[in-house]
Amino acid sequence: MTADLQVRLYDRFGKLTAAVVALLLAATLPASAQTPTAARGGLPRMWDGKPDLNGVWQALTTANVDLQDHSARLGVPAGQGVVEGNEIPYQAWALTKRQENFKNRATADPEEKCFLLGVPRTMYAPFPFQIIHSPGYIAVFSEYAHTTRSIFMNSEHPPGPIEWFMGDSRGRWEDDTLVVDVKYFTDQTWLDRAGNFHSEDLHVVERYTMTTPDHIQYEATLEDPKVFTRPWKISLMLYRRKEQNVRVLEYECYAYAEQEAARRGELGPK
Amino acid sequence: MRVRLSLVLTVVVALGVGATVIAQEGGGPRKTPIAGCPPVSRDFWPCAKAKAAAFRPARNPDGTPNMNGAWNPATANGSQNIEDFPGDAFLNPQITLIVDPSDGKVPYLPQWANKRQDNWDHYIDPLGTCYLTGVPRQVFAPRGIQIIQTPNMFAFVGEFAHQYRTIPTDTSPHIGDSIRLFMGDARGHWEGNTLVVDTTNLTDRTWLTISGHFHSDALRVTERFTLVDADTILYETTLTDPKVYRQPWTMAMPLVRFEKGHEVWEEPCFESDHDLPYLLREHKLWIGLTPPK
Repeated sequence: MTADLQVRLYDRFGKLTAAVVALLLAATLPASAQTPTAARGGLPRMWDGKPDLNGVWQALTTANVDLQDHSARLGVPAGQGVVEGNEIPYQAWALTKRQENFKNRATADPEEKCFLLGVPRTMYAPFPFQIIHSPGYIAVFSEYAHTTRSIFMNSEHPPGPIEWFMGDSRGRWEDDTLVVDVKYFTDQTWLDRAGNFHSEDLHVVERYTMTTPDHIQYEATLEDPKVFTRPWKISLMLYRRKEQNVRVLEYECYAYAEQEAARRGELGPK
Repeated sequence: MRVRLSLVLTVVVALGVGATVIAQEGGGPRKTPIAGCPPVSRDFWPCAKAKAAAFRPARNPDGTPNMNGAWNPATANGSQNIEDFPGDAFLNPQITLIVDPSDGKVPYLPQWANKRQDNWDHYIDPLGTCYLTGVPRQVFAPRGIQIIQTPNMFAFVGEFAHQYRTIPTDTSPHIGDSIRLFMGDARGHWEGNTLVVDTTNLTDRTWLTISGHFHSDALRVTERFTLVDADTILYETTLTDPKVYRQPWTMAMPLVRFEKGHEVWEEPCFESDHDLPYLLREHKLWIGLTPPK
């Protein structure tokens, strides 16, 4: 509330008033709300005192290939899983479906069709993403197929049901952790290239905790009463891309695929 | 070129949002004033500039004018056209958005004089295949943009096909000339209360309108964003492209703040696209003004 109030005061009355009110408020607030912009806890902070998540980030795991422990196979490096306990608690029918998906993964994976990857997969896909962090609204821009996520802060999900590839994200801060509640998904996305999947009833709760200026501990709890027997959790690290010239570029995969086909004369009027 | 808006609008209507924009996309030129200025670009431009010079905008904590929020290109008709157009069976009437040159027409070089008509007759608008809008079209594409400001970044989320664009407001150099991007490489800086954006590294794979206005990969775009009042931005954009245009030319238009609480939502365009086979019966995919060999 303090931050919101400061924004409004800023908008309306300018810097001096906001500063005076901030000073007055400081006398009555706990220490955690008192030091905007200072590097409390060694973290970069927004002027409202929250950890500053702005920047280009990327996961460095094999989770996009397979969320679970897996040996190497052709074209796939071995990897340690990111699932807590390494078990995804599928219902019996869903486990059969998952095995079918695995067999058909070369063509059935939505990533092969250049579709949006959904949540949480976008966060550990092998592409950099940019977080644009303002107090009321956080955006995530991935290099993969111009994926855009809007995280609306301190607000309610709209009335559903709605089916979105990226779901509807509503964020709030719990101390220094950004907690994002995501629902209203389609059943069109997978969780990895190994055929792990969910239904449109997926509900994800993500937790972003900045542990150093260059690391975000990322956790996501997934529940889906149609597919899983209980909620389960993944946990992985997001790393800040530190290259001086780093920039999220473009991977417009369906445009390239269609244009290649057009050049070969396979698309368009004869 | 046939328009995909039907699919898109169905989605939006189903979601119960965007009614305001649809009304404006579907109708003729807007007649009511915007920010106390006539809505027609050639009159809006000088009027809005004069008002902006006297306006003291709300500011972000870093001192820059606060443009955060969702904005509607209210006079742009979903980028159907940018020149004067009487309207026909496919496209709505339009009053030119071009303020320079004064005839309100795109100043194509003589050898390109018939190319726009050729595009309309034979090619699919790249938006029709859900490709990125390019620059400056994102700003006046259907259903508006969300602006997000951070101390070193000015960013857009466009609702059409979940497109984003980032504009670092720093002095870093542009990326290497051989890297080409649908949305280009932008750098912004503040001149008083105006954000000035310089965009390079563009491709020839994007258009400016459904009607087929085009550019080459030599395009360079300068944009200016200035608050006229709390709920209106004067948007000016100058396009320079010596391969295609006789001279640089400029559009000016208002961006009007959406009603409070408006959220820019996901529109999964390609993911829910089933009409490409139909479009391809009579029209070709646009793979650039000078298609790669």
